[in-house]
Amino acid sequence: MKIVDINDNYENVIKETAQTILAGRLVIFPSDTVYILAVDPTNKSAVEKLLGFKNRWTGKAISVAVTDKKMAEKYVELSESAQNIYKNLLPGPFTIVSKGKHQVAKGIEAENGTLGIRIPDNKYIHDLVMAVNRPVTATSANLSGRTPNYSVASFLRPLSKKKKDMIDLIVDGGKLPNNKPSTVVDATEPELKILRRGDLITGSSQTLVSKSEKETEKVAEFLLKKAIEKNSGKPIVFSLSGDLGCGKTVFSRRLGHLLGVKEKITSPTFVIYNEYQTDDKKFLHFDLYRITADFELQEIKFFELFTNNSIACIEWPENMGKENFLELQKVAKVISINFEYLNPTTREIKYEL
Amino acid sequence: MKILAIETSCDDTCAAVLNNTSVLSNVISSQTDLHAKWGGVVPDIAKRAHSENIEPVISEALKKAFNISKKENVTDYIDEGMKSIDAIAVTLGPGLAIALGIGVNKAKELAKKYNKKLIAVNHVEGHILANFTKNKFGKPHREIKFPALAMTVSGGHTKLFMMEEIGKYTLIGETLDDAAGEALDKAAKMMGLGYPGGPIIERLALNGNSDWLKLPRPLANQKNFDYSFSGLKTSFYYQIKDWPKEKIAEKMSDLAASYQKAVFDSLIVKFKRAINFYMPTSLLASGGVLANQELRKELRKVSKEMNIPIFMPVKKELNTDNAAMIGTAGYYKALRNEFVEDIDSLDRDPRAQL
Repeated sequence: MKIVDINDNYENVIKETAQTILAGRLVIFPSDTVYILAVDPTNKSAVEKLLGFKNRWTGKAISVAVTDKKMAEKYVELSESAQNIYKNLLPGPFTIVSKGKHQVAKGIEAENGTLGIRIPDNKYIHDLVMAVNRPVTATSANLSGRTPNYSVASFLRPLSKKKKDMIDLIVDGGKLPNNKPSTVVDATEPELKILRRGDLITGSSQTLVSKSEKETEKVAEFLLKKAIEKNSGKPIVFSLSGDLGCGKTVFSRRLGHLLGVKEKITSPTFVIYNEYQTDDKKFLHFDLYRITADFELQEIKFFELFTNNSIACIEWPENMGKENFLELQKVAKVISINFEYLNPTTREIKYEL
Repeated sequence: MKILAIETSCDDTCAAVLNNTSVLSNVISSQTDLHAKWGGVVPDIAKRAHSENIEPVISEALKKAFNISKKENVTDYIDEGMKSIDAIAVTLGPGLAIALGIGVNKAKELAKKYNKKLIAVNHVEGHILANFTKNKFGKPHREIKFPALAMTVSGGHTKLFMMEEIGKYTLIGETLDDAAGEALDKAAKMMGLGYPGGPIIERLALNGNSDWLKLPRPLANQKNFDYSFSGLKTSFYYQIKDWPKEKIAEKMSDLAASYQKAVFDSLIVKFKRAINFYMPTSLLASGGVLANQELRKELRKVSKEMNIPIFMPVKKELNTDNAAMIGTAGYYKALRNEFVEDIDSLDRDPRAQL
């Protein structure tokens, strides 16, 4: 068993890892969620080794990571609902279960012939899959029934010598942020089914469901990342509509902190907006609740506030009026998010990127 | 020392003239019929038209303070009034950036034009020191001993400070989300009432049963001095969300009383906790929400119970945003020789901390 640090000559590490996997060996690798067991899913003996390591009965699927939809389609058939998810949610912390094309070794697809695909939002895995030029397994690195691992040390601690000997290479990516394992979504039918709850729960391909403030914060994290990836240098505006107490402020606060705001982010209702400067960005937090007429936006010189490095959250965007909203869409990339109350503990968050 | 004070941190344009801490005039745009007086200069519909309001308001403050006889225009009043002024105090922040900028720029301009010293004041310190503001006869006479515990509660702030002396404050607690005044305003809106909602809720609550609706007291059991009102607001909203209008109308007083009680309980619980922890010699409370008689009663009860004197601004206009409190804070800064050194480089500070 060899341990390498991922940042110790990164390109070489990826190359060595790819070669190890292609040689049919077992690798422990850091992902966007937890440490994963990576093998070549098309290699029969590698898959057997993986299943042996996990003490896992064949019958349950082992998810695999790919780089993009095109690679996924070589291994699974994408239903319409799956197509939508690939378009709107991936890359992200989701495993999408589809009907398999039986292109992988026995034990990877589930007994019913389905296969879970991941497109992680993570550079390491993306680069690794590119280097291997085929999928790698992305099952969490723990024995079946044990909790997932966020560091190499916690992974190794409970392992017997026999188990340790089965591992050929460990790529140490340090302590991973405490993200839950991915949400597993069955997209074989038009109606999505959640098979395992991770940090982000899908309602449909364009809605996420939150059952707590923590989950709303995860949604903010996810959408911020998407927005930055897709942005073309314009200011980014999250237009947050929805009822009182649906999590708009929680969302804004998390976003601000993710952008590097160190201070407390409190309600801007009274002062209309607060502006926070971080190292390279400006976070604008608006609450237009007290705005009742168009000219009030002029009074606060609304449109002049959006500079290229600014990211804004606007609560009560309805109050700016339709024309101003159209104007805003011209000067900024506007992401409309709607928070809906489903029941006392559940909110549905709908978004348009 | 004669001070001209300017405050434009949010909605209102305010100017005041003080002799030390005695108020000679205290002008607030929304409470003054400038529209009629200045021949339509000020659109009365605009809430934050500071740039249009600022000169008329300053001129009005100077005119009242020094009984200036009739002049041709706003500039003439200012020219005349500034002869009697020793220093200018202005709110630097926290507040609405664009609004602050107008006050700060005007103060800089006047300081340079008339060669006056300039004092930059924190808005929250202004609220605290409103308790030291006197009328032109030097009343009320107060002996406030330190250390003091100071609470500011308004539409924009809910903060607790320990105060070693005038000018030395330690923030010990604050709201993590909404301000108390905002919480009251939003509840009023949910019941279909107007803005600002605080005074309406107060009036309705007089005839209501404050135990009628069960509402949470967020953070009440946490051993810190912070507040949170967004959970309370949410709970209230979802309890009455599906009620028909008639039912809300029928139970309006009880709803208002229950909600107001929940907000004030949160304030009182942390206030008491801070008293027990820091054992201050005096208690201070100020800010717009202190216009509420019920809160004042509750605070006086705490004072009696703990046997520590409490001070609150007597006049309503010293609780809501005003320039007299800025002038008072400015006076004490002047005593400490804390004038702005480089007037040109002075800038508004929308997120100023005290």
